[in-house]
Amino acid sequence: MRRLSTKTTGSILVWTILTIAVLSLIAVETVRLVTFKYQSALQTATWQESLLAAESGIDLAIVELRKSLYPQPNNAWQGWTNAPGNDVSGYELTTVPNAGLSGTPMTIEANVDAPAQLIDPTNFWQYYRIRTVGTIPITGPARASDNPQDTKLRRLSLRFERFTNGLLLAHSLPTDANGNPKPQVSRRIETVVRPVSAFDQAVMSVGVVDLTNQNIVVDSYDSSDPTKSTDGLYDPAKRQENGDIATDGQLIEAGNAQIYGDVATNAGTVSGAANITGVERTDFYQEPIPVGAPSWTGTNSSVTTVNGTTTINASSNKDSAASRYVLTSISLSGGKTLTIAGNADGSQSYVEIYVIGDISVSGTGQIVIQPGVSATIYFAGNVDISGNGVMNRNNQPGDLMLYGIQPPDGASEHVNFGGNSQITASIYAPGHDVTVNGSGTNGHVYGSIIGKTVTMTGVSNLHYDESLGATGMINSYKIVSWFEDNR
Amino acid sequence: MVKISPAIAGYAISEMIVSCAIFCSISLGVLMGFTSLERNYAATSDFSQNHADEMRISDYMALDLRRAISVQAARNDTTIYIPAYYDQTGNPQTPTLDGQGSVYYGASDSSVKIHYYLMAGNIYRQQDSATPVQLAVNVQDFVFDVTDAGKVVTTHITFNPTFNSGGASTAATAATSFYNTTLLRNSRTDIESSVY
Repeated sequence: MRRLSTKTTGSILVWTILTIAVLSLIAVETVRLVTFKYQSALQTATWQESLLAAESGIDLAIVELRKSLYPQPNNAWQGWTNAPGNDVSGYELTTVPNAGLSGTPMTIEANVDAPAQLIDPTNFWQYYRIRTVGTIPITGPARASDNPQDTKLRRLSLRFERFTNGLLLAHSLPTDANGNPKPQVSRRIETVVRPVSAFDQAVMSVGVVDLTNQNIVVDSYDSSDPTKSTDGLYDPAKRQENGDIATDGQLIEAGNAQIYGDVATNAGTVSGAANITGVERTDFYQEPIPVGAPSWTGTNSSVTTVNGTTTINASSNKDSAASRYVLTSISLSGGKTLTIAGNADGSQSYVEIYVIGDISVSGTGQIVIQPGVSATIYFAGNVDISGNGVMNRNNQPGDLMLYGIQPPDGASEHVNFGGNSQITASIYAPGHDVTVNGSGTNGHVYGSIIGKTVTMTGVSNLHYDESLGATGMINSYKIVSWFEDNR
Repeated sequence: MVKISPAIAGYAISEMIVSCAIFCSISLGVLMGFTSLERNYAATSDFSQNHADEMRISDYMALDLRRAISVQAARNDTTIYIPAYYDQTGNPQTPTLDGQGSVYYGASDSSVKIHYYLMAGNIYRQQDSATPVQLAVNVQDFVFDVTDAGKVVTTHITFNPTFNSGGASTAATAATSFYNTTLLRNSRTDIESSVY
């Protein structure tokens, strides 16, 4: 056997070790770099996900707020510590399995309160503040990014909980079996939501909107703004372009309407729209919040039914028992008049009327709203009013609000206004088929109409009063302020 | 004196020349290989670093755009105004209604100015008159464009990769594009917002 020299053997060994060392260093550096980049990408993704979690908290809170608008029992705020209001906060902690990983659940904390500063002094509507924290555990070691600029932006809770200022419930980081803190990332958002009136549109329908072929002009004015109205009345020279028409359904038959506003369907079509100044959208859906029967503790029993000439007195005290009437029905014909009388000096007065049955005004019968009276009428049955059967002497649609109580499932009820040259009212009846008949070529409707279906015949002008958007029944909540608190 | 055979003497010279040539070839190859590897490593690291910078800048701007109430967009110089959510001690303030259906923090009409700009090869974020914060360093080849579409704002960031010693081609630069389209959650004060 040939024996290699000692020098040659040693040289090979040295070169081999050197090569292995160099390759190992390259491999270690590669793995280190890749690990940092992988960890950075994972932490970035988790940071983004936690924002989604925080925004989910806002959605959860708004869902509860909307549920609270439904007639009782609406099961709103179940699972929360409190129903928010009058400086009372509601809090909920929700845990959601994250992407199917039960070991890394997403947690959503939501806190809703109603500060006194967020009450609108003009209509006393309460705005709500929603604060949420979304948290996602970080997979991998509790190690900061290799780039210090990253840590300034994407703030992680690696060893300690970042949010310790008590804005929401303070809590420490979860720990593993050995008692070591588990890293996580949290993001915090504060939003303010404002109530949205049921009369936020000129016309809104759950189903079809049919304006028939009357070349109707739909526009808007604002009775509360002198630059958009004259003496609180519609002025064609101050026409606004917020006469929006929308449907939860798929069809708007615009009938060659000239619409100064937007038109929106729920993935549907608009036919016969000769001119639309706004945008045409197909992504509309608005929850048709049903109206429940009033549950007043005290009422004025001086009038319980109306079938002849009658006077109902409004009261200066809003929401008082003296201002509330429960009637079995209203049936007027042959010159009979229901007068809703206010104060002699025309100062502001209020009346709320709950009609258990039908409202029928025919012939020369008439309901007269006297000056200064703000009338709200709830009806559970059908409404048939013909021939100028309603006279709103305030000429303000906000002073005559008609609310259709939700009919039982399967029942078909309607609201018919017929033969009117002018109607000044706001109608919210998402369970009723609403038909408004004008007087042909010169019919004017001032106000807002919401129905299960809406059909307008012989109405050539529909003028939406934008001030209705800040009055009436609350139908939804809308985010008006959004801020991510990234301290 | 020992006389070397002529055959052996000639072989030694040619052998040395050949071995030198082989050594030089191998050394040159190894050198070129290592140089290429080093340059590739540097270019890859640079690309990776720049991509991380793109993401960070984009995330910073998206963070501010989501809560923006006003935007002034320009190439490599964008100003965003956000609500004055914090008081002077850095604590959140209670929101207040403005009587028009909107909300503000702090004094009426107050806001915080956030300025993003590229200067001297660095990209900065400056909040009001505070000391600017470096978002990315040594990024003189970066370009960030902000497209203001009203309710949504798109940021577009590019850089020049260094894989080619002759400089990045237009296509190579375009391939580094990092887009982010952000929905502005708040109503804007500088334009009439559309329905959201």
